[in-house]
Amino acid sequence: MKAWAIVERGSSGLRRVSLEVAAKAKELGDAAVLEVTGTERYSPLAATAALAARSDAPDLVLVGATPTGRDLGARLAARKGWAYVSEATSVSVDGGSVTATRMTYAGKVRATVRAPLPAVVSVRPGAFPLSSGAGEPQVEAVAADAGAEALAFQRFEPTAESTGRVPLAEARVVVSGGRGLRGPENWKLVEELADLFGAALGASRAVTDAGWRPNEEQVGQTGRTVTPDLYIALGISGAIQHLAGMTSSKVIVAVNKDPDADIFKVCDYGVVADLFEFLPAFIEEVRKAKAGG
Amino acid sequence: MKLLVCAKQVPDSTVRVKVAADGRSVDVSAITWAISPYDEYAVELALERKDQDPATTVAVVTVGPARARDALRQALAMGCDEAILVTGQGADTASGLGLARALAKVVEDVKPDLVLCGRQASDDDQGFVGIALAEVLGWPHVSSITKFAPADGGTDVWKETEGGHEVWRASGPAVLTVQKSEKEPRYPSLPGIMKAKKKEIPERDLASLGVDLAGPALEVAKMEPPPARGGGKIVKEADPAATAAELVRLLRDEAKVL
Repeated sequence: MKAWAIVERGSSGLRRVSLEVAAKAKELGDAAVLEVTGTERYSPLAATAALAARSDAPDLVLVGATPTGRDLGARLAARKGWAYVSEATSVSVDGGSVTATRMTYAGKVRATVRAPLPAVVSVRPGAFPLSSGAGEPQVEAVAADAGAEALAFQRFEPTAESTGRVPLAEARVVVSGGRGLRGPENWKLVEELADLFGAALGASRAVTDAGWRPNEEQVGQTGRTVTPDLYIALGISGAIQHLAGMTSSKVIVAVNKDPDADIFKVCDYGVVADLFEFLPAFIEEVRKAKAGG
Repeated sequence: MKLLVCAKQVPDSTVRVKVAADGRSVDVSAITWAISPYDEYAVELALERKDQDPATTVAVVTVGPARARDALRQALAMGCDEAILVTGQGADTASGLGLARALAKVVEDVKPDLVLCGRQASDDDQGFVGIALAEVLGWPHVSSITKFAPADGGTDVWKETEGGHEVWRASGPAVLTVQKSEKEPRYPSLPGIMKAKKKEIPERDLASLGVDLAGPALEVAKMEPPPARGGGKIVKEADPAATAAELVRLLRDEAKVL
């Protein structure tokens, strides 16, 4: 079976999810690891045209389920008339078809789907953890067809709050805050804890709707889905829409002063406490643990 | 400016979704239906443009079963000018690419300047049809947008991406998939509801569009509830400091995530 893994580069080399899909593609068959290069920003049409023009015909294309990966995967599949499966958490190939599991109905139902090959599958970060010995794959650069893009990139407007942090979708630790924090001025506590873990910041919808935090931090049904090793929910009650975005996390810690909060039904460790009493103590203990190695 | 919103009717996000007895579909007997949340944002974003420029018209289309008419009625009550229901045989079996081809036919008739779709429907959560529609039309697309505004020589579009927004300018028609509107989707006003009741929603037979509804379709082999998570251990010691120390110990020694 011939496979492509389409990879992306972040500020410090290939993205982790890209390493994951490259390793998975190699495990499944004869794999080419491709990186589209040559445009300042990812351009859907320039990247699609470049990949669609290649003469080697893959049976399976794997791409990380990042904003770029999902975008490119769908456009490429539509152009080539290939099947498309989004946000897979497992992938196997059998004869002429690919079988994948994925969450549907906003995280309420897990589906196993089968699609005919050739197919493009976007894969959730963390679905195929890297073995410790996995090295950098050999990457083949594919020159973007810049002339194919009909839109003109104008500028990038960074969100000040998120600068310098790992992307939410593939963070190994996510620290999320909810209405229990009482106001945006109290986020310095959330940030302090996140810094200790090298974590991404998340938020409940109530908080982004209130304008306390930027939309892109929203975890849940109309925000981001996250699958970290550790998810820390601070002052989040656990509305069904929020749970949809984080219950696939490996370990969930919840801190809330309401013992009946729904978040406690899905957490591994819960603390019923006033955030403002508990959080400084917790930050101190994490700091000690980290310092002690 | 003429805007066309593509919407899908899905189970309301607040209801429980149960797997049906066949183990391959969901039990729809007790479902309340609603416009998919991201599509509702797309409607709201289109109406926000209309608020600023009353010359703007907003049409909404859905491909789906007869019950999807209620979703269109809701969009009209919110303030959309017209609605089109594409229904009939194939509406629930068409492939994603087939649906995109059907929507492309409607786009050719309506001739909008921009097409807005939700970034994904909250039933299959695939995020495919909007982008595939752009491909079938031969139009560019911008995914996960939160804003658009007229600009010199076209439309500026704000794409939410990791760490901020990219601003892209479209000089011609484009498909935009919507992440969020600037404001929460509006509730239909009473006059809006009355007006929507009187509006005719033309129905088009999917088969009459003459498009190929086939294509590489996903076959659902199994559906199941997500792995259950039990309620966890409540950590409680004499004071916050001791509780914090115990939680850190558990995270390090038991969960091994520290």
